[in-house]
Amino acid sequence: MLVVIQKVGTRLFRVFEELADRFFGPKLNPFYQLGGLAFFFYWIVAASGVYLYIFFETSVTEAYNSVERLTHEQWYLGGVMRSLHRYASDAMVLVVVVHLLREFCRGRFNGVRWFSWVSGVFLLWLMYASGVGGYWLVWDELAQFVAVLTSEWLDWLPIFNMAMARNFLNEAHLSDRFFSLLSFLHIGIPLVFLLVMWIHIQRISQPKSNPVGGLAWRVLLAMVVLSLIKPAISMDPANLDKVVTVVDLDWFYLGVYPLMDSWSYGSVWLLLGGGSFALMLLPLVVRPKRISVAEVELENCNGCERCFVDCPYGAVVMQARTDGLPYEKEAVVDPDQCVGCGICVGACPTATPFRRQGAHVAGIELADFAISELRERTINAAEALSGENKVFVFGCDHGDELNSLKSDSVAVMSLPCIGFLPPSFIDFLISRNYADGVVLTGCRDGNCHHRFGIDWTEQRLTNQRDPGLRQRVSRERLSRLWYGAGHIKQLRKELTAFQEKLKILGPNRVKKNRVSDGDVDGEELRGDL
Amino acid sequence: MTQLLWSDDFCIGVESIDHEHRELIILLNEICQALGGKSGIVKDKLMGELFARISAHFALEEKIMRNHRYDRYQEHKLDHDKLLDELREIMDDHEASGYASAEKLVKALVSWFTLHFKSEDARLHRQLG
Ligand code: HEM
Ligand code: SF4
Ligand code: SF4
Ligand SMILES: [Fe+2]
Ligand SMILES: [Fe+2]
Repeated sequence: MLVVIQKVGTRLFRVFEELADRFFGPKLNPFYQLGGLAFFFYWIVAASGVYLYIFFETSVTEAYNSVERLTHEQWYLGGVMRSLHRYASDAMVLVVVVHLLREFCRGRFNGVRWFSWVSGVFLLWLMYASGVGGYWLVWDELAQFVAVLTSEWLDWLPIFNMAMARNFLNEAHLSDRFFSLLSFLHIGIPLVFLLVMWIHIQRISQPKSNPVGGLAWRVLLAMVVLSLIKPAISMDPANLDKVVTVVDLDWFYLGVYPLMDSWSYGSVWLLLGGGSFALMLLPLVVRPKRISVAEVELENCNGCERCFVDCPYGAVVMQARTDGLPYEKEAVVDPDQCVGCGICVGACPTATPFRRQGAHVAGIELADFAISELRERTINAAEALSGENKVFVFGCDHGDELNSLKSDSVAVMSLPCIGFLPPSFIDFLISRNYADGVVLTGCRDGNCHHRFGIDWTEQRLTNQRDPGLRQRVSRERLSRLWYGAGHIKQLRKELTAFQEKLKILGPNRVKKNRVSDGDVDGEELRGDL
Repeated sequence: MTQLLWSDDFCIGVESIDHEHRELIILLNEICQALGGKSGIVKDKLMGELFARISAHFALEEKIMRNHRYDRYQEHKLDHDKLLDELREIMDDHEASGYASAEKLVKALVSWFTLHFKSEDARLHRQLG
């Protein structure tokens, strides 16, 4: 059942994400930085909130008027700030809910990710508590509606036992003191919210907590335009002596209020509390597939820190050396944080396909997919190739299934993540004539399942990140097709085109000719230095 | 037979780097010796070993340089990358030529090693020391 939802959801997301790719391109695609957008909206809300607070009067009688003055007399700034405050909060709900659904559909909630997932559920509550609190402060009819329902709903829980609703019985009962308390809560809860947002990303290294690629100012611009076209306004002032019914709700925050009105409070508690509880249990109920975690092989590790820098999940830490070798540090993997992507292996300088003197072991290895196995399988698959334009395709377990691309001249291999592949394997395949060209594929650009697999690979291939692909490898014999799952036809087409291109380039036999021509010698190499 | 001898001039004062320099020289000398008689696969293994170890050594040396905000980092790293490219060149030529022109290749290897030691690594030593 859950699996079906995930599958369907993933399909739907793919459609929307690729549509967004057309408009925004992978770097600007909002789907790929929902968490960062949520952070950005928080900052907009915080900044506009500070401004509003300067003009806000925390008293029952003056609150409404002060907001009115701000909205109408100071429409050009105060009004815009108010609208920004509201619309950015709404946008935040939107992106957070989509973020939640997306992480769920992609199965990124269990295993190591339980931490982000469960803290995320707390974030939902804090986000709503922050937002709903804001609606009270305006003290219009909507505020009254929300205040009465919320306090009765909270009172329903026996534990609170503070009879909050009494405050809202009639105008006389609502004291300025209580109102001040509310406005402090509207500052305090968002601060706790921020703290938990920070906690939420603690187990992720280099989290995208800011929108990148110029998305931020575009979003801000859109928000300002919206604020000018359709400013946020109040309803009539609250009057506790009158029962209000409200139709024009902010559905982002107040969607459950009609339910509170028509259902019993108990059922709403059951829905929200039970729902959250179920969400939190999800990582326990749906277990991840067994993953093969990374392990450090100390005798091949000199503590260069590359794996530590590249791990997208902060699962590698550098510690003082324990084996007596004269190195300062050693890498240590926390198996509870490792997702088994192998990106660390792709970073390790000793992960190479070239024969070694002793055992063929890298400084860091995936338990079930050793570098020696990668080497063997690569060679075996490559040796089966025949004809011209031999191509080796490396893909990943989260992209398309590649077996249908196999042919006499095309070998394929799926890796846990494309970032697992040390660039020296490409050098090896091409320069030793195992293949005339290499294709890398897997997830969609900007949307790598393991966060940085594509980015780090791209940077390694363009020598912006170590280990770089050696300059000597002709980039023309290399093709990167970051299409993501669901594009096997396009892959096939590009693969054929790539083979055509290789045909024109001719076979890759430069090296052999050069040596038999005898134009390489020591003198020349020394001269190069 | 070409031999590269460890000399205290090579010491840069960082224990891990000095250790690796020593080990690399041992390996290099082993390669020099092996080139005379040993089978192709033995040589190939030694070359591959050298490539892996030098790659790791450069990675560590570069990390240490970054930590010390070493001023000639870019140049030094560029030299490393060039050396790795050349080593790969040597490995492939070596394989392609049936391990024939060994002596010449090793000479080249030893010479770049010495040169890099004398210029880049030695300067690193003066800076860190
Ligand atoms: C204000 C609310 C939230 C903010 C600001 C936020 C922000 C973020 C950010 C910045 C990331 C890192 C993304 C990356 O760099 O790849 C992230 C990851 C994540 N978030 Fe949220 N999030 C929020 C709410 C939630 C909620 C409600 C859930 C689910 C219940 C959730 C589940 C996750 C998970 C599972 C990850 C980890 C993804 C991975 O490991 O690849 N988040 N979040
Ligand atoms: S990349 Fe390899 S050598 Fe460097 S610290 Fe990690 S395991 Fe050790
Ligand atoms: S396998 Fe992935 S998650 Fe595990 S340590 Fe390596 S890079 Fe980090
Ligand atoms: Fe050096
Ligand atoms: Fe060195």
